[in-house]
Amino acid sequence: MTLVAHGFAGALYLFAAFLGWNGRKPGGIRFVVAFAALLHAFGFYGLHLQSPAVPLSSFPAALSLIGWGVALAWLLAPRWLGLRSSGPWIATIAAGFTIPAVLGLQLAAPHAGVAEGAGIWSHAHVLLGTAGFSLLALASLAGLGYLAKERALKRKRPWNQGLPALESLDHAEHVTLALGFALLTLGVATGFAWSVSQELDPWNRHTLFLLAAWGVYLLPVGARVLRQQRGRWPARGVVLGFVFLACSYIGINLIGAGT
Amino acid sequence: MNLFLVGLSYRTAPVSVRERYAVAPALLAERDAKLVAEARLDEGALLSTCNRTEIYGAARDGDLALEHMHRFLREELGDGSAAPVQIYELEGGEVVRHLFRVAGGLDSMVLGEAQILGQVKDAYRAAVAAHSCGPVLGRLFQHAFRAAKRMRSETGLGESSVSVARVGVALAREIFEDFAGKRVLLVGAGEMAESALRGLREAGADQISVVNRTLGSAVELASRHGGAAHPLEELPAELARADIAITSVQVERPLLGAAELEHALEQRRGHPLLIVDLGIPRNVDSAAAALDNVYLYDLDDLEATADRGRQLRAAAADSAREIAHHEAEQYLRWLAVLPHVPTLRGLRERLEHIAAAELARSQGEDTERVAQALVAKLLHHPLERLRREADQGAALYYAEALRDLFGLDDEGEA
Repeated sequence: MTLVAHGFAGALYLFAAFLGWNGRKPGGIRFVVAFAALLHAFGFYGLHLQSPAVPLSSFPAALSLIGWGVALAWLLAPRWLGLRSSGPWIATIAAGFTIPAVLGLQLAAPHAGVAEGAGIWSHAHVLLGTAGFSLLALASLAGLGYLAKERALKRKRPWNQGLPALESLDHAEHVTLALGFALLTLGVATGFAWSVSQELDPWNRHTLFLLAAWGVYLLPVGARVLRQQRGRWPARGVVLGFVFLACSYIGINLIGAGT
Repeated sequence: MNLFLVGLSYRTAPVSVRERYAVAPALLAERDAKLVAEARLDEGALLSTCNRTEIYGAARDGDLALEHMHRFLREELGDGSAAPVQIYELEGGEVVRHLFRVAGGLDSMVLGEAQILGQVKDAYRAAVAAHSCGPVLGRLFQHAFRAAKRMRSETGLGESSVSVARVGVALAREIFEDFAGKRVLLVGAGEMAESALRGLREAGADQISVVNRTLGSAVELASRHGGAAHPLEELPAELARADIAITSVQVERPLLGAAELEHALEQRRGHPLLIVDLGIPRNVDSAAAALDNVYLYDLDDLEATADRGRQLRAAAADSAREIAHHEAEQYLRWLAVLPHVPTLRGLRERLEHIAAAELARSQGEDTERVAQALVAKLLHHPLERLRREADQGAALYYAEALRDLFGLDDEGEA
């Protein structure tokens, strides 16, 4: 049932993306994404009920959570994010995270994640970290979109790209970066607290990787949020920051560096 | 029932004539009702835009209908100033093909423009409200909307901008999602720049500044668009605050160099600045295009895009015409069958009646016998008629019709 809900959610995101890229009305895309997100929520509830429960920190579940987070962020605050007309992109990204996650969930060992009984810190760490990761993924995609659009505008061929306006991409990058960084910071802090509560070495490789990624992000965050800089250079910083964060994440979760 | 059209358009009459025949949208329904008040037209609808005034009608008697439509156009809609050569009339399939082309923007002054479809829909709504639109015109308009939708979605007709001013607005949309709160700076008072400004204002730009060498011209232009006028000396300060700058000044050397722009950019913290340089010679040094967050487009850049748009539309128009033709043929087939609908309905009812009576009579009988009896009953009248006609020489015609209607030759071949 859990896998079916995840699978249907992934398929619906894909369907919404298909509708969007074929020029269907934004209202329809929004409806399909909302329905998919609802199914997705049932999927997570199912993961929780499963015995033994699949923890959200398992790699496929976390991937799925990122897809869900991206869809939810867009559904709840499209205007604030400046991505009102970006339904096709959002649906594609959500499908891109959810569908591989479904395949991963089929193969995943249910115990491959946070140890049972790890307490509130572990859950806070996983949820905050994943939410931060989702938003930073969105920020980096907005940054990539910005760089592509900026290049096309400079080359005087900005037509028919299907990307939102340059200013919208910049705004989306700004908002998601600020929020994502704040959540990532909380994720790092709760991870540290979790290690201490479990009487583990708080300076383990897991924490160090996350701290390094957090440090890399300081530069674009400082430029964008504190100095209010906009344009090409902050966008590059956001994209590079996410590349480093993704590498850290893969290092922690796939290679098992943190375990 | 046949279709008729009487009207005039930009192709036949100048604006000085067209404006005398135009009908205000609020008066359309009232005029529609008046159009069909006399029994000469069974159905009627008026289409009135700045480029055309046309009367669509459906009637059994063509001569009476056309005479009425000509008189209505001359006396009720216009003042009789249009010369006969400026008024055209169409009939039958030509009316259908014409309306489909009009709805798709294929007959518009700007090929593929979208506004006309809304105007055709308004005309239809007014006719429906006035009860002047019956099944023939109703279906015609519905079919025209479908054809227009297909033309736009399947051919890309209307996707590209075809005027420099429109390209400028489309370009600004690639940078700014909406123009509310965006500052538009107009440097100079050229006609093309004003046209681009008008486009931006229609799209929502509401903060306009005009800078000009002659302050009087700037004041005049600014007052027309609800903006503020400034002397040329204030250009650097205005540039630092602008989001979109449109320049069209007659100068021998560029008015704005990369250094001036760089200075303005320092105060902008990376906010993008779109500069549309419509001046000849160019008003902005081309080196400024390399500056971060400056997007500089000159007349050649815009004209190239507009020209590409025109070519794309012209290419799409061929496919759109095919769609219009195909949809028109479908409608005409429906219209051709329309007079025979009562006959077909009568035939179906008669056959159903025979079948029901035979089934009621043969309760409990063997199915094969019931089927044979039913076939005999169904064929009784046609075969009797065929035998009777054999003596009068029309049997061959009936026999051929039967073979054709029931596909007897096809079955034989199979």
